[in-house]
Order: sequence, then C-alpha cells, then structure tokens
Amino acid sequence: MSVIDHLSGPEDLAPDEREAVETLLYRLADDEFVLAERYTEWQVRSPTLESDLALSNIAQDELGHARLWYDLLEDFGHEEADLLWERDPETFTHSTLVELPFESGDWADPIVRSYLYDEAEHLRLQALEDSSYPRLEDRVGKVQGEERYHREHATNWLERLASTEEGHERVQTTLDRLFPHALTLFQPVDPEIEARIDEYGIRTQSLDALGQQWLETVVPFLESLGLAVPIAEDGAVTADDLPETIGRDANHTEDWFDLYEEFTYTYHDLGRDSAERIMSDPDDQ
Amino acid sequence: MIWEVFRQEKPGGYHTHCGNVHAPDAEMAKLFAEVQHGRRKPTNSLWVVPQPEIAEVDAEDTTFGGTTDKSYRWAMTYTGVDASFAEEVAESQREQETADREREEVTAGGNS
Repeated sequence: MSVIDHLSGPEDLAPDEREAVETLLYRLADDEFVLAERYTEWQVRSPTLESDLALSNIAQDELGHARLWYDLLEDFGHEEADLLWERDPETFTHSTLVELPFESGDWADPIVRSYLYDEAEHLRLQALEDSSYPRLEDRVGKVQGEERYHREHATNWLERLASTEEGHERVQTTLDRLFPHALTLFQPVDPEIEARIDEYGIRTQSLDALGQQWLETVVPFLESLGLAVPIAEDGAVTADDLPETIGRDANHTEDWFDLYEEFTYTYHDLGRDSAERIMSDPDDQ
Repeated sequence: MIWEVFRQEKPGGYHTHCGNVHAPDAEMAKLFAEVQHGRRKPTNSLWVVPQPEIAEVDAEDTTFGGTTDKSYRWAMTYTGVDASFAEEVAESQREQETADREREEVTAGGNS
C-alpha cells in the first residue's frame, strides 16, 4: 500500500512528509498527555490504596509515552514550552474521550475510559510497528511493553464491576456517555493529511481499518459482560454516532480549556519561559 | 481480603516476603502486586498468597531450638576454615589415594 519504503531522518524530510509525521505525532502525544492529566485527578481519591497506585502508575506510563512522542517533535526544532506550556490550547488534536472531566467518585468512568482507550492504543501502535519513519518505529516497542498492563487492568476491573447489579448499571451509564467520544479516537485531524500518513507508510493501517478492528474487539467483549454497546447492529459508524465535539479536529469542549488553564497555571505563575528538564533525553537513555 | 506478596529477584532465587495488597481475588492481587512490589526493585517473579492460608507457629507457641543445651550441634570446629585447610584436605586425600594404590599393587602381586 505504501509507495515509500523508508522515510529519511527528521532533517531530510520533504515539507509534505514532515507535515504528515508531525500531525501523527501530535495526535499520539496529545492523547497520551491529556489522558494522563485526567487520570492524575484520581490520585488519593481512588476507591482503595491499591487501585489508586495502579491508576497513578498507568498515568505515569502515559506521561512517559507522551514524552517519547513530544521528543520526536523536538527533532523538528520545537521546544517543550511550545509543545505544551505555551501552546495554543486550540491547536491540540487529542480526542474528546481523554479530555472529559470525571464525576467525583465515579470509578466506572476511568475504567471504561481506559478500556476503550487502551484497546485503541494497542491497535494504533501495532500500525506503527513497521512505520516508514524510523524514529517512530524505534520507540513503539517500548510503549507496547507497558500497554499490556493497562489493558489487563481495565479488563479485569470491567469484568468485576459488571458482575453486580449496581456496578453493571454504572458501567452501562458510563459506556453510553463515553462510547461516542471513543469513536473520535479514529477521526482524522485533517482527511487529506491522514491520507498522506497512510500513503507514505508512516502508519500501516488507515484510521477506518483501525476503527473497524477496534469495534471487532470491544463490542464482543462488552456484550459478553451483558452490556449494550450504543452502535448500529451492522457496526457502521456514521456522523450521527459521533459527539458534537470531536477533539481531533482541534475543536474541544469547554472542559478542555479549563484543564489547560489548570495544568499551565503553575508555569505562568512562576513566570517561566522554558520547561525545566529533570530527565535526560530519551535518545540518551 | 489481604494477600501476602513474595518477590523473587532472579530465576532460581528464593521468594522473599515483601509486603501485602488488598484485593478481592488472585487476579486482582497479582495486578496490584505488580505495581506495588514489582516495579521499583528488580523482579523476576511474584507470589500472592491469601493471608488466611498461611499457617504460623511462633515463639509463643513453641520454644524454637528446645530448652536444653545442644551446643554440641553447632559445628564450631569449621568456623576458622581457610584456604590452608583446603590444602590440608587435598594433601590427606592424595595420601589416601597413594596408600590405596599401594595396597592394590601388593594384593595383585600376592595373587600371581
């Protein structure tokens, strides 16, 4: 499907190639970063000490993954401050699934959200394992290594939550609310650029193909727990199934702007103009 | 329910008790133990054991080692052993082997 065997290093990319690589990296990095920000809100608030540590650990993993992807954007001359702390919040291209706030005490939400997200994450990483962009391909294995835990964690919890009447009801309510937002994980940032990402072999599966594989994974599993998945019987996804705000196309809910305010607050409060580096570059590790 | 956690650092090593986790069942206990006890230190394997399944006998129940003097059990003779002792053992071994051979030669000569 790809006409290009291997793209060159960051400094030798043609402008249209670079735009495709950057768009893909922003999608990946923004999803991971924003989701980690949200997960962190559960710290010291999860139902038990153990569940608290497990979710915090997953949040740390996702932050680590975001760092790996943002670091590849730094290859193109971007600095951390421009990528996060001073970036226009209207340019973030994460899915709305990761930006929605949690209801206080609604433990079903992070579990359902994590399940929907991590299954998608697993598939999209598989589609990068043979990426034509060597810098990306090199890092996928590292990230996949931590994803197994995330999926097992979400799956185990879901099975247990759905096994009691009250739990089942809560999971169903959450699923109805989150599922349309999960579909936006497979929406294009810009259809033309996404087509180029596929054409250049940067990603070896199209968003549509990934979305279909994802549905084939999550729908049977959720149904096996006695849950109803809010989707047409033939599995076809239409614009009507999507939420009003997609996220991917850089349109976001108000909640995102509040979250952005919150996580950039200290940076501005301290009058910073660059990000403090506390870890060595991923390339030197 | 409480699960006691035992960590093994390297293959073949002992699983050593390292703490516990609260979990409803073994699957969740393993999942939680992985994060709490398997991430910060080198880990090859973890055991999770339901706490009520652990049987204990302690110093209140028994007198470990008994109450009479059994110091004869302590093999103190060997505490000062060093390399020179190994040489002594090897020397003695050689002497016995030589003696053995000589005995065989004498016996063989007697039969012919």
